Amino acid sequence: MATQDPDPQEPSLSQEGIYVALTDSPLNLTSITDRVRSPQAGAIVLFAGTTRDSFDNKPVKELQYTAYQPLALRTMLDIAVALRAKHGLKGIAMVHRLGVVPIGEESILIAVSAPHRQAAWRAGEEALEECKARVEVWKREEFEAGEGVWRANRDGGRGERVG
Amino acid sequence: MAPKPPQGHFNILYFASAGSYTSKNVEALPAPLPLRKLFSTLEERYQGIRASVLEHSMVTVNLAYADVPDEEGPEDKDEIVIQEGDEVAIIPPVSSG
Repeated sequence: MATQDPDPQEPSLSQEGIYVALTDSPLNLTSITDRVRSPQAGAIVLFAGTTRDSFDNKPVKELQYTAYQPLALRTMLDIAVALRAKHGLKGIAMVHRLGVVPIGEESILIAVSAPHRQAAWRAGEEALEECKARVEVWKREEFEAGEGVWRANRDGGRGERVG
Repeated sequence: MAPKPPQGHFNILYFASAGSYTSKNVEALPAPLPLRKLFSTLEERYQGIRASVLEHSMVTVNLAYADVPDEEGPEDKDEIVIQEGDEVAIIPPVSSG
């Protein structure tokens, strides 16, 4: 069974070879890498998603993320469990940042380790795509012009204007 | 986390565009409520929310995704009735990453 981390700053779920978390703090590339480090691994693949300064050429001032925390963690754990089994991973860790994320900073980190690089590459990509499709986190873009939109990954569309 | 709903009520959480439309993150609504009546109940309170938000969203009851039955469709004795103390959420299309 997954155990729940008591750290209120970074709610998380973990089990053997798996760590998923949400945090309001800046993400740390070294610490997520260390979570999947293994003497049986020949490769660690690390993905860092960063916040872009424009959408459709409209300048974005900042991004804000919100989550249905217990459900988002559960979904992240489901994804990690499935990918660990499918690709024979030694470790998989995924952390999503919430709240305001300034432009150019990391909003999500995914680290996977595997005995060989091919499995690690594939699992890393699949983990991100699964997260974007399923994890109950929402991104709001605040434009320089003043309005904001809730983005939807599903259609890559323009999202709904919220005034 | 949302405060416990008062007696005879359930909590409904509004995320993203649902929160923008209702101008709230959470409220307590009277229970029990058949899940098939959820959208019409919300439409009464927030005119236009069905077309703008609900038809593109998913619904969870106590952290489990639930199909909202067609209100005009045939009754099914197994269909979900939202109970006092339940936590329901409107889940618009997600945008993590």
